[in-house]
Amino acid sequence: MAYGLTAAAFAGALILSLHTGDAAYLFFALVVLVGSATGGAGPAVLAALAGASALAALSRDTGWDMVHFAGFLALSLLSGVCGAAKYRNRRTMEGALRDVRAHEAHLQSILKSVPEAMIVIDEKGLVRSFSSTAERMFGYEAGEVVGKNVSMLMPPPEHERHNSYLERYRRTGEAHIIGVGRVVTGRRKDGSTVPIELAVGEMRSNGYHFFTGFLRDLTERQETETRLQELQSELVHMSRFTALGEMSSALAHELNQPLSAIGNYLGGARLRMERGQGNDPATIEALGKAAEQTRRAGEIIQRIRDFIARREIEKRSESVSKLVNEASTLALIGAKPLGIHVRQDLAPEAPTVFASGVQIQQVLVNLIRNAIEALEESDPGRRDLMISTRRAEHDTVEISVADTGPGLAENVQDRLFQPFVSTKDAGMGVGLSICRTIVEAHGGAIWAERNEAGGTIFRFTLPATAAAAKAETAT
Amino acid sequence: MTDGAIVCVIDDDEAVRDSLDFLLGAAGFDVRLHASAEDFLSDIPAECGCVVTDVRMPGMDGVTLIQTLRQRGCTAPVIVMTGHGDVPLAVAAMKAGAADFLQKPYSDQAILDTVRTALGTETVNLSDAQKEARARLAQLSGREAQVLERLVNGDANKVIAQDLGLSPRTVEVYRANVMTKMQAGSFAELVRLAVYGGLEP
Repeated sequence: MAYGLTAAAFAGALILSLHTGDAAYLFFALVVLVGSATGGAGPAVLAALAGASALAALSRDTGWDMVHFAGFLALSLLSGVCGAAKYRNRRTMEGALRDVRAHEAHLQSILKSVPEAMIVIDEKGLVRSFSSTAERMFGYEAGEVVGKNVSMLMPPPEHERHNSYLERYRRTGEAHIIGVGRVVTGRRKDGSTVPIELAVGEMRSNGYHFFTGFLRDLTERQETETRLQELQSELVHMSRFTALGEMSSALAHELNQPLSAIGNYLGGARLRMERGQGNDPATIEALGKAAEQTRRAGEIIQRIRDFIARREIEKRSESVSKLVNEASTLALIGAKPLGIHVRQDLAPEAPTVFASGVQIQQVLVNLIRNAIEALEESDPGRRDLMISTRRAEHDTVEISVADTGPGLAENVQDRLFQPFVSTKDAGMGVGLSICRTIVEAHGGAIWAERNEAGGTIFRFTLPATAAAAKAETAT
Repeated sequence: MTDGAIVCVIDDDEAVRDSLDFLLGAAGFDVRLHASAEDFLSDIPAECGCVVTDVRMPGMDGVTLIQTLRQRGCTAPVIVMTGHGDVPLAVAAMKAGAADFLQKPYSDQAILDTVRTALGTETVNLSDAQKEARARLAQLSGREAQVLERLVNGDANKVIAQDLGLSPRTVEVYRANVMTKMQAGSFAELVRLAVYGGLEP
């Protein structure tokens, strides 16, 4: 196109110069300007050459005019430079525009692919932009929302209040949500609500004031989190059965003792009754003792039931000493014949922890049973089991279970709390990993260390209840 | 009825000890109680006619007690009380020379019968019992003997089935056949006969 224009201008200049004579160099210099402005260097040089040839041809009739020719060259050079600059300028503008369009397309594609919905509003609260993800989130088409007040996407009371929030921000400049982000509730077109994580950015452009909201639908995440928690507590619950299963023969033995005693007392009482000694104090006393043994059996069953029951998952303030006592009673069932020397060193200030009682007992039962199994491998003379509690740094309570067993092999020490790592023949290797899950869910830590006296010490911490700390400073 | 023979009861559980005292006393036996095997060994009553002992105890267990008694030349019959699932321990006790074993919880009649038999055991010819047991063992088929071996080892039906590549139902049939051929009225008797017969698990 530039060459066409230049050629037309050249033709015009040629006709004009034939009629005017002297001013011819001016016309040809203009042609150079046209060429350079429309097509840059190529057409400009061509126009200059053509102009020079035309002038040379014309000067054959009129005589060679060096002044005019020099003027033509100077003007060509000037118009060439000016035209080229303008040409470059236009090219740059075109390029910049192309870049901007490409950027915008790029941005659009990004906005479409990010999971967040984007809504832009102005300072009056009117929606300026409504992304396609936002359309899916709220069930509105962009056309139904753009130009309307954003409060239509909010349930009461935010629905009524949003304008005043904007007004307050304009007046005070106090940001309540900008740059902070929070979880809010949105209202869909069908009236249902949706939990949303909202982050708001602010933008000022040419005196206009915009707010950009990025919205993430939390429905799925909340469901996932709930499900995850359910699964975890289910797993922890099931592992209590496993723990009891591993103790089953010890529990059966423990139940057999009172049952045998009851059978003996009743059998003896029947023999005496058959001989007419039913009213003897000895017979009556034996029946009382039998009843006592049924209570003993009942207590064992109750303890098992408490341990398996699904209740007490909720955390509350629990006495550490009580938890340790109950857990060790259960865990030490059947340990007596092994001749294990059990000692307890419980902190006298009786700290309390904010915990799920049954889960902490589960950790303790696991650790104590592990200790008992380790102790079975050491000499009957030195089977010491020490359970202690103490106040530790950072407002925590540390509970430890120490045994004088053979100690841990080097190769399991690092992987101790990983699932499916077991040192036992019949072990699933889930006990300690469950312990870690429980302790960490309580905001504590669990670890094992070498016992100075030989064997292993397992320690875990739990945050002390704030109330307990207060009570202590008060006394 | 007891001719002054004393039943010595050894159990670490106080309730079990006390209740046995009451039952055996009501049945007319003279009873002496001991909280541990060591306690009993330190002062064995001269008239001890039979010993009733728990197999699992702190310190010396029931099996070691029998071995120690035999080493000291004490021939008093020993009845061993075991918990559920303690079959291997019961077998070990029988091999060490226990007269019989009882699985807790047992019926009062069972223990009285066992004690009565034990007090009269001195007159029973052990070699005759062993000969009879061996004769019954010889009647078992190869499969039946395999099942008996594993039963005496304390294996559950399911485990035996897996080991031998049989269905649990088939194992039950073999088990019933074994009980019939061995003329055993109870599992305890079956174990006793197997040990008398010299079956090596």
